Amino acid sequence: MKNKKDTQMNFRDLADWVITQTKNSGANDCRVSMSKRRLVEINYRDRKPEVIKEATTQNLYLEVFINNRSASQATPDLRQSTLPGFITGVIESAKIMEEDPFRTLPDPKYYEGRSTEDLQLCDPDYNQLTPEGRHQIVKTVEEACLQKGGDKVISVEAGEHDETYEEFIKSSNGFEGSSKSTYFQAGASMTARDEGDRRPEGYNYIGCRYRSDIPPLEKVGTVAAERTLDLMGGKKIATSKLPVILENRGVARVLGGLLGPMSAGSIQQKRSFLADKKGQKIGSKLFTLYDDPFIMRGLGSIYYDGDGFPARKRDIFKEGVVNEFLVDWYYSRKLGWEPTSGSISNIIIPSGTRSVEEIIKDLGRCIYITDYIGGNSNSATGDFSVGIIGKLFEKGQFVRNVAEMNMADNHLNFWNKLVEVANDPWIYSQARMPSLVFDDVVVAGI
Amino acid sequence: MKPIPRRKFIQSTALAGGALLFLPALKACKSPVTLSGNYFLKEFGIDEALCRKLLAKALSKGGDFADLYFEYTVSNYLGLEDGKVNQSYGDISLGVGIRTVKGDQIGYGFTQDLTGESMMSAAATAATISDMNATPAGSSFTALKTGNYYPLPPDYDGIPGALKLPLIQSVNEKCLALSPEIVKVRAGFQSATKRIMIVTSDGVQAEDIIPSGYLYASVVAERNGKQEQSFWNLGGTRDMSFYTDKVVDEVATKSVSNTLKLFDAIQPPAGEMPVVLGPGVTGILLHEAIGHGMEADFNRKNISTYSTMLGKKVAEPFVTIIDDGTIMNLAGSLNVDDEGTPGKKTVLVENGILTSYLHDKISAKHYGVESTGNGRRQDFQNYPVPRMRNTYMLGGDATAEDVIKQAGNGIYVEDVSNGQVKIGEGDFAFYVSQGRLIENGKLTAPIKDVNIMGNGPKMLTNIIMAANDLEMFQGGAGQCGKNGQGVPVGFGMPTCLIKSLTVGGTQQKGGQS
Repeated sequence: MKNKKDTQMNFRDLADWVITQTKNSGANDCRVSMSKRRLVEINYRDRKPEVIKEATTQNLYLEVFINNRSASQATPDLRQSTLPGFITGVIESAKIMEEDPFRTLPDPKYYEGRSTEDLQLCDPDYNQLTPEGRHQIVKTVEEACLQKGGDKVISVEAGEHDETYEEFIKSSNGFEGSSKSTYFQAGASMTARDEGDRRPEGYNYIGCRYRSDIPPLEKVGTVAAERTLDLMGGKKIATSKLPVILENRGVARVLGGLLGPMSAGSIQQKRSFLADKKGQKIGSKLFTLYDDPFIMRGLGSIYYDGDGFPARKRDIFKEGVVNEFLVDWYYSRKLGWEPTSGSISNIIIPSGTRSVEEIIKDLGRCIYITDYIGGNSNSATGDFSVGIIGKLFEKGQFVRNVAEMNMADNHLNFWNKLVEVANDPWIYSQARMPSLVFDDVVVAGI
Repeated sequence: MKPIPRRKFIQSTALAGGALLFLPALKACKSPVTLSGNYFLKEFGIDEALCRKLLAKALSKGGDFADLYFEYTVSNYLGLEDGKVNQSYGDISLGVGIRTVKGDQIGYGFTQDLTGESMMSAAATAATISDMNATPAGSSFTALKTGNYYPLPPDYDGIPGALKLPLIQSVNEKCLALSPEIVKVRAGFQSATKRIMIVTSDGVQAEDIIPSGYLYASVVAERNGKQEQSFWNLGGTRDMSFYTDKVVDEVATKSVSNTLKLFDAIQPPAGEMPVVLGPGVTGILLHEAIGHGMEADFNRKNISTYSTMLGKKVAEPFVTIIDDGTIMNLAGSLNVDDEGTPGKKTVLVENGILTSYLHDKISAKHYGVESTGNGRRQDFQNYPVPRMRNTYMLGGDATAEDVIKQAGNGIYVEDVSNGQVKIGEGDFAFYVSQGRLIENGKLTAPIKDVNIMGNGPKMLTNIIMAANDLEMFQGGAGQCGKNGQGVPVGFGMPTCLIKSLTVGGTQQKGGQS
C-alpha cells in the first residue's frame, strides 16, 4: 500500500489537472472524485479454503456543469493520456441535457466548518495482517461454529474480508476533501439439519474499522451456530395482534421505510407520507433518533457529505416528533429550503435501561423478531409489510421458533406503538440500534 | 487489422457512451462492430500467446482448470424529472477476472489494468488456491460456436445524443395526458453494451456482445390529498427497433393505470388462503421461491431443500418448469454463459419430476453431468456461480376464468416485487404491488401493500391448476441478486392456482384491524 501522502498528492495533482482540462473544454464547473480500494477475501468450507480473492480497484467520477446542464460519468482509467477523451464525452453528454437551473455545484459558503478531529477510521495495524493470519482467522471462526453446531451441522461457511479505501474529491468552486479507511469483517453461516426437509441457515458476520475491535473469533463462530440452532423447528402460528420485539441488529430493516421518505427528493417528488409532518408527532415519546458522524471508528462516520457539506450531529426525530428532513443541495433549491444534508452517517436511537430478557418477562405473549424476508414499505403511504422469523415467548418463557410469518402496519401508527427501548445497542453497523419493543402489532400466519 | 491505440479507443467509447441513442429511424447510423477477429485482440492486444501465459500462471501451482474473463461494458442512463431530461450518468467497466479451480475451491484475482504485468499478478493470486505441481494449460484455443439470441451488434453506438431525448419525453407526455391526477413523472432509459471474451485452459475461446436496456416510467398520482405511485418498464436484450410508440404507450399506460387503481385498493384479510398468480411477471415468484433452490451450488453443498429430490416427484404431473437462455431478446438470454458454455435450455421439472439442477462447471463436474450453461457473473470483479436465465412454467389446459373460479375466495396476484427466499428452509416472502380480491370465484376489489409468504417446495406441490395462457414478461429491469452479484433475468408464468399461502396485512380475519 502506498503511503498516504504520496497517494493523496497524486490524486490532488490529477484532480487539479482534470478540473483545468474540463473547464478549458467549456464546462462552467465540475467536481472530480477519485477512489482506490484494495480488498482481500477468504472463505472456508469443510475446513479448507473455498474462495481466495484479492484485487485493487480504482475509479474516477466526473460531474460536469455547463449552462445549467449537467452530466456525470465514471471510468477506471485514470491515465492522463486517456482522460481528455473521457472529459470530452462527459461534456458532450451534458450539452444535450435539458436546462435545469437547480443543477449546480453548492454555494461554497456551505463547505465551511468541517471538523478536523481524527475519527480513527484507519487501522494503523492494518498492514500487520498477513495471508497466514487471515487464514487463521477464518479457521478459528469455522472451528468454533462447527463445534457449537455439533451433529446438527450440514455445512459451515466461514469468511474474512478486509479492505482499505481512500478517496479524494475536489470541485472547481473550492471544495476539497479526502478520507482513508479500513474495514474488517469476520463471520460464519451454518446450515443445520432440521425436521423433514428443512435446512435452516443462520449467520453471524461482524464488521469493524479496526481488526482489534472484532469480538473474540471463537465467539463470532459460536454465535453463528447458536443463531442457526435458534431457527430449528420454526413454524407459523395463528394470525394475531401481539407485542413484538425487533432485535437490535435488524431494526434498520424496518426503520429504512421511515427514513427514505425523510429525504427532500422524496418530498419534492410527492413520494413521501411525511412531507407535511415536520414538527408533528409521528411516534411515541420514546422515539428519538439522531445522526452522529463523529463516533470514533464508526462505520458511518464521515467528515463531509455527498455535497461537500461539513458533517454535523443532528436530531432527526425527537421524542416522536419529526425534527429535521434530509435536504441535499439539489432538492433544497427545488423546494426553496435551506439544505441540511441529504446523507446520514451513524444513526442512533438512545438505549433504555433493561435487557431484552427482562423486558420479555413482562410482555405476556410476544414475538422476538430476529430476521426478515422480503417485504416493502410504500414511501407515499407509509404502509409496510415484511416477512419475519423469530421466537414466540409467553410470560417470559420460550414457547417455539416461528417462521413463514408476516408483520404489517403503517409507519404513522407503528412508531406510536414503541413502548420500550432495550439497553443493547448493536455497534457493528452504521445503524447503532438497540432492540425495540412495539405493542399491538398484527402478525399473520395461519 | 492493427490494434488501435488505447487512447483513441477510450476517447471514442467515452464519446459514444455519452451519446448512446435509441431511435429506430436512426438505426442506419450505427457504427458496425463485429465479433469476428477477436475484439479484445484488436483493442487491447490480448492475443493467444498472452492468454496461454496467463493460464499457465494461474495453473502454476496446480488446479483442475483456469479461465480468463475479459470485459468491457459501457452503460448509460438518461433520466427525466419534472418534465425535463436533466440526468445523464455513464459508467465504464473494464478489466479481466482470472480464476483457478481445484475441485470446488476457487482462487480469484482481477484487475482493471490490462497490462501483462498486472494480469500476471492477478493470475498469481488465483493460483494461490492450490499448492501442488503445475497443471498444463491449453496450447491452442478453438472459437466457440455460440447462439444468436439478441441483435448483434447492438445499434446503440454512433447515434447523436440529442435525438435520444424525445423517447423519454414521449413517455412523460403520455403519462400526463392519461390522467389529470398524475402529479409527478420520472422516466428514464437505461442501456448497456457489454463485450466479453472467455478463454479457458481446456482450449475454448468465446466472445459475445450483450445489449441490455429498458425504458421505464414511475408515476405519482394525487386524489383527495392522498398519493399513490407505481412503475412499469419494458426492455431486454434488444436493439432500438424495440422502442417504438407502442412500447412508449404500454410503459405510460401500465404505470398510470396501476397507480390509479391503488386509490380504490384495500388490504385483504391476513392469513392462509388460496392464491391465484396472474400470467407473466408473477414468474418472479417461481424464480425466487423455487428456482434458487434448484441452483446446483446450493445442492452440492447440501444446503438446499432440493438436494435429495433429484428424480423425485416435486409437483403435480401437469407442472413443467424450464430455465431457458435461448429465447430471443429476453433479459436473461445468453449466447454463451460466463464460463464459455453455449446458451442452453434446461428442463428443471418435467411432468412434476425434478430432472435437473442449474449447473456451472464446478457443479457439473461434481454431479458428473454437462454444464447447463448457467455459470454467470455480474462482472469481471466476480467469479461465476450457477444463476437462472429466463425461468418459466408451461401452461395447462384450463382457462384463466376457470382457475379464478376454482379459487373461490382468496387473492389474485398481478404484480410482485422484493422477493426473497431462505434456501435451506425454502421459506419465501413477496410483496404484492398489484392484485385483486377473489370472492366467490370472481375478481373484485383491488388490493395493495401486502406480502405473500410460503415455503417453496410446499408451494410447488400446492400448484393445483394452470391455465393455457403462459406469458413471458418483457421487462428489462429485473435483476437477481446472489452472493452480492446482480445479473439480469427473465421470467414467465401462466395463470395458476396455489391451494394455500399466507397473506400478510393488518386486517385480521373477521374484519378486526
